[in-house]
Amino acid sequence: MWFLNFIPDSLLHEFIIIVLAAGAGLYVIGLLINFIPPLYPYKEMIRIVGTILMVAGVYGIGSYSTEMVWRARMEAAQAQVEKAQVESKAVNSKIKVKIVRQTKIIHDHQVVVRTQIQHDAAKIDANCKLDPAFIKDLNDAAKNPLSGAQ
Amino acid sequence: MNKLLTILLLITLVGCKTVPVTVAPPFPDAPETLRASCPDLVPVSDDTTKLSDALQVISKNYNQYYECKIKVDNWIEWYTMQKDIQDKIGKIK
Repeated sequence: MWFLNFIPDSLLHEFIIIVLAAGAGLYVIGLLINFIPPLYPYKEMIRIVGTILMVAGVYGIGSYSTEMVWRARMEAAQAQVEKAQVESKAVNSKIKVKIVRQTKIIHDHQVVVRTQIQHDAAKIDANCKLDPAFIKDLNDAAKNPLSGAQ
Repeated sequence: MNKLLTILLLITLVGCKTVPVTVAPPFPDAPETLRASCPDLVPVSDDTTKLSDALQVISKNYNQYYECKIKVDNWIEWYTMQKDIQDKIGKIK
């Protein structure tokens, strides 16, 4: 019942109790009306109004209780979602830091290897001249066969 | 009158009717670094005659492979951790 959201909880609860109490009161008066002769002509009307108010009161109590239970559940769920969002951001930060650290290690290693190759270049190239077929085969091996494919 | 009251009071139980609500938190964004695709391997220049030059390119490609491996491994870790977090939310009753 969406409109219950716009009414203050305490006011709504008090109103429902008053309606239920008034209904029960009128119903009891309706039962005892034989002992109050001046009210006897209104017997049926009092009992009908009392019944209607009681029914409305019981319905109201049911709706109110359900509404409160759902509000509590929604608050708990919202709190869980907020907690999950915080945890999720923490995971992202942790992963970002890890990527930066690991990439730096890879990069540093690459620098060492490049320097090593430059240092050993004379020895490596001394007895070896590359055939163009080697370059072609190597590049073919490095080529991504999926590039351009759907 | 009492029967009518009983029936009416029973009807009022619809006031206790509940509607299930699904809690759907937004799916988290993965870090930008993970979302970039891995580059293609670098080819060796056709006019290269020195093995050391070719070795530099090969070494660079190895490096690229390990950088890409970092992405894939972290994607797996990111997904596993985020799924655990999302699964916890799904257990709210």
